[in-house]
Amino acid sequence: MSEEKIPPDEPGADYRVNFFRPRPGFMRKEVLCIWLMLAGWGVLTFGFQAYLVLSQRNPVGEGVLTDKILFGFPFHFWFTGQFLIVWFIFLALIFNVFIDRLTEKHRKRK
Amino acid sequence: MSSSGLKFAPIFLLFAFLVFSLVIGLASRARRGDYYPTSARSIGRMGIGAAIASNWMSAASFLGIAGIFYLQGYFAMAYVIGWTGGYVLLLILMASQIRRFGKYTAPEFVEARYDSPVARLLSAVIAILISLIYCVAQYKGIALVFAWIFGLDYTSALLLGTAVAISYMVLSGALGVARNQQLHYLALILCFLVPLMFVAKALGYSWAVPQLGYGAALQELAKSNGSSLIAPWAHGSAYQWIALCFTLMVGTAGLPHVLSRFYTVPNMRDARWSVAWGILFIGLLYWSAPAYAAFAKIWQWRSGASLDPAASRQIADIIVIKAGEWAGISPWLIGALAVGAIIAAFSTVTGLLITGAGAFSYDIYYRLLNPGATEKNRMAVAKAATLVLAVVVVIVAANPPGLIAQITAVAFALAGNTLFPVFLLGIWWDRANKFGAIAGMIVGLAFTFAGLLLGDAVPLVGALLPPTSSALVGAPVVIAVMIVTSLLTPPPPEKIRRFLAEEVHHP
Repeated sequence: MSEEKIPPDEPGADYRVNFFRPRPGFMRKEVLCIWLMLAGWGVLTFGFQAYLVLSQRNPVGEGVLTDKILFGFPFHFWFTGQFLIVWFIFLALIFNVFIDRLTEKHRKRK
Repeated sequence: MSSSGLKFAPIFLLFAFLVFSLVIGLASRARRGDYYPTSARSIGRMGIGAAIASNWMSAASFLGIAGIFYLQGYFAMAYVIGWTGGYVLLLILMASQIRRFGKYTAPEFVEARYDSPVARLLSAVIAILISLIYCVAQYKGIALVFAWIFGLDYTSALLLGTAVAISYMVLSGALGVARNQQLHYLALILCFLVPLMFVAKALGYSWAVPQLGYGAALQELAKSNGSSLIAPWAHGSAYQWIALCFTLMVGTAGLPHVLSRFYTVPNMRDARWSVAWGILFIGLLYWSAPAYAAFAKIWQWRSGASLDPAASRQIADIIVIKAGEWAGISPWLIGALAVGAIIAAFSTVTGLLITGAGAFSYDIYYRLLNPGATEKNRMAVAKAATLVLAVVVVIVAANPPGLIAQITAVAFALAGNTLFPVFLLGIWWDRANKFGAIAGMIVGLAFTFAGLLLGDAVPLVGALLPPTSSALVGAPVVIAVMIVTSLLTPPPPEKIRRFLAEEVHHP
């Protein structure tokens, strides 16, 4: 985050709430964080399944990723069935820490 | 595979649970007063997280996941991921903002945000439908476990289970049982995890952390049996997997009884952190459930007792219990599993029927049909509604349309197609108005039931909108419909738009 001049956190009289046009300051950073989280959530969940399709050598989806064994599991199985849940918890932690800091910073400003 | 006749251990445990609930109810009756506010403050975020998990764990998690994994292997991972990843969506998009609205139910939120009794009515009807569908799955679980415990056929077990469930509900309702949700979570998760360790041990796998150790069982199965459990698209295409997973995720973020958790947490910060704990606590169960099914498969393969598809389908939803039976662990541990499933189903049913009946008696009867109704009057209506809902559920559950997890998924599809877009745009776009919300919910209902009713008749509908997975297409369409309709109609009142800008999106 660059130290641009942040306007006070009161919305102007003409401000309209819009996810794609967050107001500068707290909300803009919050929405940026949400976008990053959505990307991390979507790419690892759905992107991985798409990659399974791309790398498959037969219609049931067997391929490089299903041949490789990790911690006793076929890689794709480990990734989806075990790692993704850990990833979700990690995303939740990161998001909370970030928003906690952001909230503190912007509340002091008032 | 003899499993007829009365089983002593689970009957004893079930009876002990009911007596225990009664005693707790009587004891807590004296000091009900300000139960929630004080305890909520003292239990902390971890405690609220456990409450989220205990609220969440139902027959679908306890029995359904393992059942679907037993039949469909990797395809079941869409359930596991959908039902955990949905909380991420809920957390980043809604959890803390919902808290700012200060409303207690989904219909109340809808009326406050969209300023429209019609939208409120629609959302109440949807909440009732979700409760009904969700309950059908729970009753199937209750009936199967009762059938197993008492050696009854499915229908008699359903009736017996219903009788016990309703007496439990009436008792706990009459006593105003202040259920300790942390204890509830702890009991449930132990009922699930401890027997799994013993099953792993009995079958000769590493028992300390069977969640990480069942990979060996999977590989053994793949070598002997082919890879139908492991191969990604052996039981459903990649589209079906992704559609299901997405549907369950947006459904989680739109389920009334999940959202209502966040109205009552002390503050936004706690709301957010409790979700992180909630995912961990729910994850503990979801890491473990497929292991039961894998162990059950291994036992079948070793003993040469493989079943034909129809018979497998019959027992899939109690495969958790079967795995315990087959591995030969102590009847007390199997009993704990069975009773854990019943407790999970009971508490879910109680919560859902109360939500459904409340939506009817308050949002429909009081707000719409009879605004002059007295408190006493409304209570009577709520009780009658509970009973009617329960009867409808039993009738549908007598002939369950699918596996527990599949029935539950339909409720998620409905929530994801209707309430999720209404909440999402309600929070993040102040221009969304009542016309948009009403149009969106109607289209969402149409999408959900198109997949359900027309799926067989129209192949394209069946392919694009599987009943369990209609929200991958449905939710984005509903969002688009809401945006277009809102833009074509007058904006919502300025007061609501200022509230969103100044209160909801304020640090």
